[in-house]
Amino acid sequence: MNGQLSRRSEVLRSASEGQRAWSGLWVTLLLAILGFLVIYPVLMLLLGALTDTNPVVEGISLSRLSVTNFLTVLANPNVAEALANTLIACGGGTLIAVAIGLLFSWIVVRTNTPFKGFIAAASILPLFAPPLVAGVAWAILGSPKTGLINTMFKWMGMDWRVDFYSMWGLVFVFGIYYAPYVYMFTASALRNMDPSLEEAAEISGASALATLFTVTFPLIMPAIVSGMLLSFIVMLGIYGIPAVLGAPTNLAVLTTYIFKLTNWSPPLYNTAAAVAIILMVVTSLLVFLQQKVLSGRSYTTVAGKAFRPRSLDLGRWRWFTFGLGIVYLLVVVVLPLLALIVAAFRKFMFIRDVASLFDVRQYSLMHFYSIFDNPLTLRSIYNAVEVGLITAVVGGALAFAIGYTIHRTQVTGRRWIDVISTLPVAIPGLVVGVAYLWAWIGVPGGLYGTIWILALAFIARFMPDTVKSLSTSFMQIHRELEEAAWVCGKGVFGTIRTIVLPLARPGVIASMTLLFVLAIRELGSSLFLYTSNTMVMSVLLLDYYEGGNLGKTAAFSLVQTVLLGVLIGGANWLSRGAAQGSVARTG
Amino acid sequence: MTARTFTNIAAAAGIAGLALTWSGVAQAQEFGSPELIAAAKAEGKLVFYTANFAEVEQQVIKAFNKRFPEIKVEMVRAPGGQLITRVKTEAAAGKLIADVVDHSDRALMQPLADMFQDYAPPNAADYSPESQIAPQLWPRVTLVWSIAYNTELVKNPPKTWKDLTKPEYKKLTGQVIAPSGGTTWTRVMFERQVLGEDYWAKQAATSPVLYPSGAPMSDSLVRGEIAMGPLLYNAIYPKQKDGAPIQIFFPPEGAPVNPYATGIPKTAAHPNAAKLFLNWCLSKEGQTFMIKELGNLTSLKVPPAFPEGFDPKVVKVWFPKFDEYVKLQAAWIADWNKTYGYAQ
Repeated sequence: MNGQLSRRSEVLRSASEGQRAWSGLWVTLLLAILGFLVIYPVLMLLLGALTDTNPVVEGISLSRLSVTNFLTVLANPNVAEALANTLIACGGGTLIAVAIGLLFSWIVVRTNTPFKGFIAAASILPLFAPPLVAGVAWAILGSPKTGLINTMFKWMGMDWRVDFYSMWGLVFVFGIYYAPYVYMFTASALRNMDPSLEEAAEISGASALATLFTVTFPLIMPAIVSGMLLSFIVMLGIYGIPAVLGAPTNLAVLTTYIFKLTNWSPPLYNTAAAVAIILMVVTSLLVFLQQKVLSGRSYTTVAGKAFRPRSLDLGRWRWFTFGLGIVYLLVVVVLPLLALIVAAFRKFMFIRDVASLFDVRQYSLMHFYSIFDNPLTLRSIYNAVEVGLITAVVGGALAFAIGYTIHRTQVTGRRWIDVISTLPVAIPGLVVGVAYLWAWIGVPGGLYGTIWILALAFIARFMPDTVKSLSTSFMQIHRELEEAAWVCGKGVFGTIRTIVLPLARPGVIASMTLLFVLAIRELGSSLFLYTSNTMVMSVLLLDYYEGGNLGKTAAFSLVQTVLLGVLIGGANWLSRGAAQGSVARTG
Repeated sequence: MTARTFTNIAAAAGIAGLALTWSGVAQAQEFGSPELIAAAKAEGKLVFYTANFAEVEQQVIKAFNKRFPEIKVEMVRAPGGQLITRVKTEAAAGKLIADVVDHSDRALMQPLADMFQDYAPPNAADYSPESQIAPQLWPRVTLVWSIAYNTELVKNPPKTWKDLTKPEYKKLTGQVIAPSGGTTWTRVMFERQVLGEDYWAKQAATSPVLYPSGAPMSDSLVRGEIAMGPLLYNAIYPKQKDGAPIQIFFPPEGAPVNPYATGIPKTAAHPNAAKLFLNWCLSKEGQTFMIKELGNLTSLKVPPAFPEGFDPKVVKVWFPKFDEYVKLQAAWIADWNKTYGYAQ
């Protein structure tokens, strides 16, 4: 290993002065792009929080900088309430997510539960539901006065009632939809564990349960903590679910509060910027914590294991755990989908009792006719796809360039590129939107109101994920292959073109399709950047929801779900097909 | 056939033909000159910003398209406060793409009147001058408030505005927030000026669910989330017509009325289509459609019709005084926010 490294640096040292200048130029270019995408908007956001000028009317001005605006915001009791609600909702949701995620990862990886693949798929499915769609579905199910769940309870003669328009409802929905984040971390850790320690406990006489709690879980604690922190961070930035479930009782979290501020008449952009900064600080603290926990551990999993994880024989209990998987699937996928179908096809949402639920005369296609009558519907789908494509292609190319520079070159300044490209992790989606609004709204004729501002905001927002996933794809290619090309005289670009890209293509395509799907779903950052011309699917859904017609909202949610399902399925098929054609991949 | 019969028939045919062409000409003049119509058809589309409810306006667009199918109307809808923000923001960024802006709050639109181009429909003289606040802005839509309740949920329904303060209706009422737009401001102004200074406090004591605009509230009423509340007639009448379990009435103390302000921005990309659309909406045909099918009123001096359930001899319509409408708005809405606990 050392010998290879010194050989490599010899190759670099013998590079000409011209090559040194080129690499300097390259780094400057990347830093400039990143500065434009990430640093400039965040600085503008900071500026907005510290002044009280209205960017639309007066333009951005540095003259009235003061901390008073920020301090007034901090002292506002509504902000404190929103912050408290946010922490409680995300904390509670994370606890539930950890419980569910850990349980299912153990069931899938470490037991002999039947149909494990099916449970594994069920554990990941909730990730694909857009949060707003999930919120609408659970509002239909869990409304205290008219929800389908309560209608069912009344019919069954039971006295229980649920009320999802509450902190409990919010925590529950957060928990079940973000369990997959925890699942992915803990399942991977459980898979890579050395079982000898567990075997030692068993030999010493510990029961299966005791081994579980005293050996297994402590060993994977870093994965549990990382998953926990990640799901907390993601929940912090979600707008759709608290917007729907929190609105009827005025339960505000930071994201819905920021949005309300910009919709006030006149809008309070400065206050919104200040609150966005608060959200960013909270997120950054958690990201910092997460990095500390993960420091010293590599992201890429080691291939070619020397051991296999032990599988626990549950006997008859394995049907119980299988049942748990089915219950989760029912609750998280089937129930909300049914709710959306009922609402989308029913003429009026007044459901007297269960009999009325099955009365066919109450159903019709009128909501679907209505939404497709509006030319904006198809336009928004087209816009969403257009933005998704731009984000995937431009963002993918940029992320590849950044990833390659960080991991495969020795140029100076790549540390900075690494840091700046990872910054957006600490910036929730909604905050990215507000920052971009501030960065561009005062610039007449600028990017505001074009499809490009949306694409750029998405590229910045998803930069960290894309860089990581693209880097993984080419880091699995052994350096020898590149070095062979170098020795034969190919330059860096030639090597990338002829060696790296062809080998990494499946991973690159998979990353780009992931980026495409994320961009299409994104609501938080689009909320502030769209104009009537550039309305995208997710924003139009919110528009339908705020327009008050639950039937039309549900109908459009179904259209979106089907569209996303087709796109994700297609993406999966594309990358798997490509992966099957790949060649030399050594670990 | 005798010569006499032939002459009679020819005369009749001649008169009929003349009547047809004349009505054709009259009709053409009713919506605009043939050049305007041709130019509008060439433009082929227009972008329409409105604060009125989306479902309602979609029916208007459908009716317009029956007359002029070649012109596509793209509608962008937002409640009053948000719509002004959007218009101002887009105008400041030089990206106002609206061809027609239709807004509920004349007080908010008046300072922006310079943004709009000079325009008058063919039947301009038929409109009552008080409803117009600037020569460029016209009352395309005129809305009236009513009270509605869900018949499945309420066995002793309210009959007056004052009834909405009854303690037995606690947690059953809903309200659209005052800062939503011009129509809600008209309503709260009426409540305080006509029903008494303490009306707000008493009504707020029933813990109403607050809605950002009339559309979600009317949907909630049908769904059963709330049982009663004041709603614009055109927000709830279409649902009743379609069979929802709703009863609507006009309370005896009065029915507040709010005309909209509609104009064509100077930067409109499809000015001829915009003019044709507004001409149609403001014409007798357009106004009659909106009254009969949607439950609107009209600002024409002589209303061609009244909506079903609205008896002009019985209902006391109430118009705010425009100078008070402008002067009192900020302070009174702040008071309302405080009383109802709607803060930012």
